[in-house]
Amino acid sequence: MRAAIEAHDLGADVALLSKIHPVRSHSGAAEGGINAALGNASEDSPEEHAFDTVKGSDYLGDQDAIQILCDEAPGDVYQLEHWGAVFSRTDDGRIAQRPFGAAGAPRTAYAADITGHVLVHVLYEQVMKRDILTYEEFFAWKLVIDDDRCQGVIAWDLLNGGLKTIGAKTVVLATGGAGRLYTGTTNAYACTGDGMAMALRAGVPLKDMEMMQFHPTTLAPTGVLITEGCRGEGAYLLNSDEERFLKNYAPNAMELASRDVISRAEQVEIDEGRGVDGNVLLDLRHLGAEKILERLHGTRELSMTFAGVDPIYEPIPVRPGAHYHMGGVDTDHELGRTELEGLYAAGECACVSVHGANRLGGNALMETITYGRRAGAAAADWALTHTTVAVPPSVEADAERELKTLLDRSEGERPWQMRDELAKTMHENFGVFRRENQMKEQERIVGYLRERYERVVVDDKGAVFNNDLTQALELGFLLELAACMVVAGIERKESRGAHARPYDFPDRDDGNYMKHTSVRWVGDHPVLDWKPVTMTKWAPQERKY
Amino acid sequence: MKVAYYKGCLASLSAKELDTSTQALAPMLGIELDELESVTCCGAGDIHEAEPDYYLHLNARILAYGEATGADTLMTICNVCTLNLRQANWQLRNDDDLRARVNENLETVGAPPYSGDMEVKHLLWMIAEGDGYDRLKQVAHKGLKGLKVAPFYGCQILRPSKILGFEDPDRPHSLEAIIDACGGEAIDYPAKIKCCGFPIIQAREETALGELLQPIEQATEAGADVMVTPCPLCHLSLDAWQSKLRERTGKDFQMPILHLSQLIGVAAGLTDSELKFKRHVVPVAPALDKLQV
Amino acid sequence: MDVALKIWRVDEDGERNLVSYEIEAPEWACLLDVLDIIKDRHDGTLAYRKSCRMMICGSCGMRLDGRAVLACKERMKPIVESGHVPVISPMGNLPIVRDLVVDMGPFWQKVRDVKPWLDPGYDEPSERERIVSQQQMNVINKEALCIMCGCCVSECNAMESDPDFRGPAALAKGMRFVGDARDQTSVERLNELNDEHGIWDCTRCYFCNERCPKGVDPRDAIAKLGAESVKEGIDWDMGAKHANWFVTSAKTTGWLRETELVPKTQGILSALKETKFALALARRGKVPPPGPIHVAADVDESRKLYNLVKEQGRDGALGIVQGERALARIEHVEAEGARRDAPEITPGEEPPVAEG
Repeated sequence: MRAAIEAHDLGADVALLSKIHPVRSHSGAAEGGINAALGNASEDSPEEHAFDTVKGSDYLGDQDAIQILCDEAPGDVYQLEHWGAVFSRTDDGRIAQRPFGAAGAPRTAYAADITGHVLVHVLYEQVMKRDILTYEEFFAWKLVIDDDRCQGVIAWDLLNGGLKTIGAKTVVLATGGAGRLYTGTTNAYACTGDGMAMALRAGVPLKDMEMMQFHPTTLAPTGVLITEGCRGEGAYLLNSDEERFLKNYAPNAMELASRDVISRAEQVEIDEGRGVDGNVLLDLRHLGAEKILERLHGTRELSMTFAGVDPIYEPIPVRPGAHYHMGGVDTDHELGRTELEGLYAAGECACVSVHGANRLGGNALMETITYGRRAGAAAADWALTHTTVAVPPSVEADAERELKTLLDRSEGERPWQMRDELAKTMHENFGVFRRENQMKEQERIVGYLRERYERVVVDDKGAVFNNDLTQALELGFLLELAACMVVAGIERKESRGAHARPYDFPDRDDGNYMKHTSVRWVGDHPVLDWKPVTMTKWAPQERKY
Repeated sequence: MKVAYYKGCLASLSAKELDTSTQALAPMLGIELDELESVTCCGAGDIHEAEPDYYLHLNARILAYGEATGADTLMTICNVCTLNLRQANWQLRNDDDLRARVNENLETVGAPPYSGDMEVKHLLWMIAEGDGYDRLKQVAHKGLKGLKVAPFYGCQILRPSKILGFEDPDRPHSLEAIIDACGGEAIDYPAKIKCCGFPIIQAREETALGELLQPIEQATEAGADVMVTPCPLCHLSLDAWQSKLRERTGKDFQMPILHLSQLIGVAAGLTDSELKFKRHVVPVAPALDKLQV
Repeated sequence: MDVALKIWRVDEDGERNLVSYEIEAPEWACLLDVLDIIKDRHDGTLAYRKSCRMMICGSCGMRLDGRAVLACKERMKPIVESGHVPVISPMGNLPIVRDLVVDMGPFWQKVRDVKPWLDPGYDEPSERERIVSQQQMNVINKEALCIMCGCCVSECNAMESDPDFRGPAALAKGMRFVGDARDQTSVERLNELNDEHGIWDCTRCYFCNERCPKGVDPRDAIAKLGAESVKEGIDWDMGAKHANWFVTSAKTTGWLRETELVPKTQGILSALKETKFALALARRGKVPPPGPIHVAADVDESRKLYNLVKEQGRDGALGIVQGERALARIEHVEAEGARRDAPEITPGEEPPVAEG
C-alpha cells in the first residue's frame, strides 16, 4: 500500500492487487512496533540504529542499504503520524518508543501492542482517500514476462472466477513471507511466499533463502505471535526451574537480546528437559494489571483465547515459531529493483538485504514503509518514462492451459496432506537447529513432495470464490521455495544469525561465508550461487549480547 | 426482603399499570418496596448520548439515594433503567478518581454519597431463580393454565451482557421459567431478543416499525395468546404502536401485551384495579378468557 | 474430539441447503480449524474467508447459531462438551456470494462514505510529529481497535429494517476521526453523520457491542458522536431534539415530561398530524395531562448537578470516555453452563433468502 500511495502521488496510474482485502494483510498482525531513531525516549541516532541492525544481521546485511533505512526511518514515521496513525504517546505528547531486542536505545515506536494493525489501517485510509484502483481478492499467479521485461500479472479472480491479465509497465511485489512452510508459525494462512515464487519462476534470483527467523515467543500449538513488546516492557523468560535462563546465553541484554539468540537458548532449554510441555514461560505478572491492560491488551486477549492463560495472573507458555523470512527476491540497495526490467520488490518478500541473517524486531515494519516508498517511487518513475506494454496472447493462453490441466484432474492427492507433511518436516529438519544429514533428508523429502504435487487435485471446479484452487496453487509456491531454502542451507557451512548448525559448523566463518546465497530456478530445480555483502563502515566482530 | 424501589418515568405516568401491579405483587413475593422519591429519570439512552457526564451523575444520585435506604438491592422494573444504573455502578465502582469526583459533586448539591455497595436488579432476576422463584411458584396459585405466552425480552435487559450478566444473552430463559412457574405455556420465536424499535420510534418511525413487526408477527404466527415484557418502553412500542403496524401491513394484529408484574399478577389473583388492563391499547380481556380456571 | 456441526451451504444462485458434518478435530480447535478440516478432507467446495487466525485481520466473520463471531476465536471444546450441534451461516445484512462468503462491497462503501482519512487542515506537515497527549489519543482508543470484520453490521437491528443505515462500523470509524484531536473537520463530519441514515438511526439494541470481537463498542462510539453533536449545538435532527428533551426534563422536573416529548421531538405541525393516534393513546391514559407536572422531590439537586457538570466541562465524548477504563475491567461475564436447553430457533440462524 505504501508503494501504491507513493506511485499515485507521483502521477502514475497505479492499481493495487491483493488476494485478500488489503486491510487483511498480515502486516496487521505485527504488534510490537516500528523502529526509527526519533530520539523521543533517549539519545539516539540513525548511526546507532544502523550499527545495531548490522550487528543484529550477524554482519550479513548490506550496510549501504541499512544506512538508507535508518536515515530515512524517522521521516517515514513522521509521515505516518501526519496521516493519522494512532501512536502511543510520551508524557510530553511525542511518539512513544519502547526498548526492543538487540537495540542499543529504545527506538521502537508503538501503538500499544497493535502497531501493525494501526499502520495497515492508516495506509488503507490513505488508499481510500486517493481512490486508488484496487483489484480485491485477485490471486496473483504468474508474472507476465515478454521481451525481457515484466509486463504485468496474471491473476485468478476469486470473486467471479477466471484468469485475468493485468498489464503494467512496472510491477512491485509486496507479498510478504512464507511462514506457512512450518507447522508452528506466526504467519497467516495467506503467507505462502507467492511473490518470491513468481519472481523465481520468472528467472529472478532469491537471496539468503535459508534465513528464516524463529520468533522466541509464540503460542503452542499453532504459533500465534506474542509480541516482543512484552519483553520490551520488562517481561522475563523462565524455564521449568523458574530461573531467567538467558543469564547463561545473553547475560547483558537478557530478554532483549536478538531473536535468534533467544530462540536458540529456548530450544536448548526445552531440548535439555527444562521446558514445560515443550515451552518456556513468559512472565508478565510483575508488570502489573495497569500496564498490561494499557500497553499489552492485545497480548492478553490472545493469551486468554488461545492459551487459556491470563498474563496478569499466570505466565504465558511460549516457544520458538517460524516468523519472518530475511531472504527473498534479490533487489538493489536503494530502489527495490530486481534484475528483471520492470519488476520491483519491497518488504518481507524482498531481500535488499537490510536484515542479513537476522532481523531486529521493529525493523520489518520500517522496511515495508521505507522501501515500499522507494520501490513505489522507482516503479512510478520508470513507468512514466518508458513505453507501454502489450501482453502477448500466448502468455495468457499458456496460463489458461496450465490451469485447465489442474482443474480437469479428477484423481490424485488433495493438497492438505502434502502441505502438512511439508510443514512438519521443515519444522523438524530445517528449524532452529540444523544438521547436514537432516537438511539432506529434507532436500529429498521436498523433491518427493514436488513429485506428488504433480498429481494434486482440486475439488472445487467452480468459478465463484474458489479458494480450493488458489490454496493448491499456493502449495506449489511453497514447494519451490522450500527447495531453494534447503539447498542454500546445506551450502552455507557455518552458523550465522538464524542459520544455526551447532553440530557440524558451530561458528561464524567470515573468511568463507560472509556472502549472500543466491538461488536461481533453472529447468526444474534450484541452482546456487553467491553474492557479496556490501560493507561500508562496520567490520564484522564477535556478536555477543 | 427490603429493596429500594426505583420505578422510573413511565411507570410513574403513562405506564401506571406497571407500578400498581408491581406494588400489589411485591408483598406477595416477600419483597418490601421502599420507594425512592428524591430521584430523577435515569436518562434512558438519550441523556447517556446527549450529556453523558450528566447521565453519570443522575444515576450516581439515584444509587446514592438507594443506598441511603439501607437496602442492599435497588429494584428496577424497566430494562433501560437497569442498564443505565448498572453501567453507572460499574463505572464508579471500578474507577477511584471518577468516583471521587462524582461524590464531590453529589456533596456539593446536597445529595447523599455514593459508595457502590448496592446491587441493581430487575424484578425479573429476583424471581427467576432461587428463593424468589420458589416464592413465585407458591404465589402463582391461580395459574395461567391454558394461556400461550410469548416472552419478549427486548435489548437492554440482555445486552451488553458484561454489564447485565444475569443470563445468556442469546438464549435467555428467565421469562420462560416464570411463565412455566405460573402454569402457562411459553412460546418460542426468534425475535424475542431483538429490538422493538422504541428508542427511534419518533425520530425514525419507519425503521422502528420495521423492527417492531418482527416480534409481533412471529409471536402471532406462533400462536401466542399474549406477550409479556419486562420493559415499559418495549411495552409502549408493542402495545401502543401496534395500530400503526396494522395500518402499515394491513394485517389485523391483536396481540395483547402484558407487563411482567401483570402476567404474574393474573396468576396470583390480583384485582382489576391493581392490574389496570383498561390502560392498554390492545384489549387484554379476550385473551384472558382462554385461561382455564 | 468428535465435532458435529451444520453449515448453511448457499450456491451462486442463492439456493440454500443445511448440510451436516461430523469430523475429528484436536481439542484446541477453533471453528476455523474445523472448517479447514472439512474443506481439506471432506468437501473442497466449502467457501469461507480466513487469513491470520489470530483475531486481527477480520476475514473470518460468520454466524454461529445466528450470532456473528470470528471463526478463529470460537473454541469448539465447550460447544462439543455441551453436546450442542452448532449451525454455521454467513453474516447478515450483506449479500451472500457463496456459502459463508458475503459481499463486503456495501460495507466498504459505507465506510468510505464517512471520509475515513485524517483531515488535518493543512497540506504541508511540520517536520516532526504533531504533539498530542496520550489522554487526547485515548478518546479514540476503542474505535482504533476496529478490524473491519463486519460482525457488528451483521447483527445490526436498525440496518435490517433500514438497509441504508450507515451502520455501527462506519459510524465508529467516523468517531475515530471526530474524536481525533488532529482532525480539523469534526464539525463538518458531525453535520454529515447527523443525516437521515446516521447517528440517530441507531436503535440502541446493543447487538454491535455484544458481538464485536475486539471490544470496540460501536454503540458507545455512536453515543459519543451524539454527545459531540449536542456539544457543537447540532440539534436539527429529531433524534437530537428527543434526547435534548430528556435533559431538559431531568433538570427541570426530574421526571420525563412525557406529554411534551412528541411536539418537542417532532415539532407542533407533525405532532398535530398524529392527533388521531395520540387520542387513541389518550383514551387509555397513556398521554399524561400536561399539568400538574410530575415533579421529583429535591429536584433542585438535579438542576444544580446539571450546572456543575457543565462548568466542569467533561463535555461531549469525554463524558463517555471517562468511564472506559472502569468498564474495561469487567471480566466478560459468561452465562453459567454452555448452552441452556432451548429450542433450535435462533435469530438469524438461517441466511436471508435471496432477493427476488
